[in-house]
Amino acid sequence: MESSSNLLDSEAGKRRLLSIEIPVIERYNEGRDPAYRIRLTRQGGGLLLRYALKPAHNRYDLETRLIASYPTVPPETRVLTPLRHCPHLLEGQTLCLWRQGSTRASSRWDPSRYTCVFAIQAAWRWLACYEIWHETGDWPLPEAK
Amino acid sequence: MAHLFQVGAGSGGMPVLDLLCRDERIHRVTLVEPDIYKPHNVERHLFALRDVGQPKAELARQWLRQRRPDLDVQLLLCDLTDPLHQGAIHEVLEEADLGVCAADNEEAKYHFDALMRRHGKPWTLGEVLSGGIGGFVHCFVRGGPCYGCVASYLQRTVRVDDAPPPDYSAPGHTQAELTIPASKASIAAIASLHALMTLELLADPTGYRPDFTTLLWTLRRVEGVFDEAFHPYRFRIARAGDCLTCMARPTPASLEDLDVALDEALARLADV
Repeated sequence: MESSSNLLDSEAGKRRLLSIEIPVIERYNEGRDPAYRIRLTRQGGGLLLRYALKPAHNRYDLETRLIASYPTVPPETRVLTPLRHCPHLLEGQTLCLWRQGSTRASSRWDPSRYTCVFAIQAAWRWLACYEIWHETGDWPLPEAK
Repeated sequence: MAHLFQVGAGSGGMPVLDLLCRDERIHRVTLVEPDIYKPHNVERHLFALRDVGQPKAELARQWLRQRRPDLDVQLLLCDLTDPLHQGAIHEVLEEADLGVCAADNEEAKYHFDALMRRHGKPWTLGEVLSGGIGGFVHCFVRGGPCYGCVASYLQRTVRVDDAPPPDYSAPGHTQAELTIPASKASIAAIASLHALMTLELLADPTGYRPDFTTLLWTLRRVEGVFDEAFHPYRFRIARAGDCLTCMARPTPASLEDLDVALDEALARLADV
């Protein structure tokens, strides 16, 4: 029976993974250096994506969690490589990519338009900002204070 | 004679249920509501202070039976998304004519949408904005946009909040979302519109085609958000061809084949 609340335990969740998320991950990996591909493992009722990004000078190891209530609830991305404390970095080196909150109006995440690879692209952009902030002291994107 | 499937009998859902069940065309109601009536609910709810501690669903049934003894009221005291109760919910939906969603969280709204699309049943949704400055009423019919299409469109095009962006400049600190409770009057206004739209749908559940998908009704003037109070905005939102929530996607038909295909894909991506 269909349930949108459990990514790996419901028909709706499995169909979303098989028809949307996995194909975009496979397209992302295609032709990419193996060191930078997305690796996928089960974690509880959700999935864990492990990958590396190199937006400019440095390579960063990251993981993005798709929790059981994904895609209604946005993915959560944290950087495993140690970072300096900086703006837009939450507890556990989790990146601030979407507004906090559960309402449609309060979140920038849109489950009807975004996939997990969008979250990875957002993390790439965050890290590019981090490197500029590291050099200049200014966070270059204005959307959050 | 119609069978109404409603989720939520909170401060917004209960007045909708009350208004709808005054209509004798509704002979049966299935209500999904797991919550207990708590002291902080009293200010905005139809139920009395002495009812605190009882399940809202039971209180709703008593309320309806006192006014419509002939009404068949069935309760599901569970969360709509609880996997253990999906079988019972699907069975009820086979027999339902229309749905009313009065859930207050996105997960339940998306789930309600998935259930109604699967069963091909029309439904309505009411949403009161933070602070009671206005609210949305949506109508979903077969072949039209899904909740994902509508939510995505509104998220991009309509501003309903004047809160500044959260300040994340302090490392390691998240900020809780700030929601300002709506007054009972605001909730009642949006609930009445929600009930009216549902009654329109009730007249012709399979053929009803409103000339708008979503009605936004302002209740207060808010600088930078709403220029005037009591102003309606109608949105005719098309089904989005690229909506990840409702677009048709080829996947294995049977659950067994689906599990096999998913296991294979996860194994393939575990060690790339």
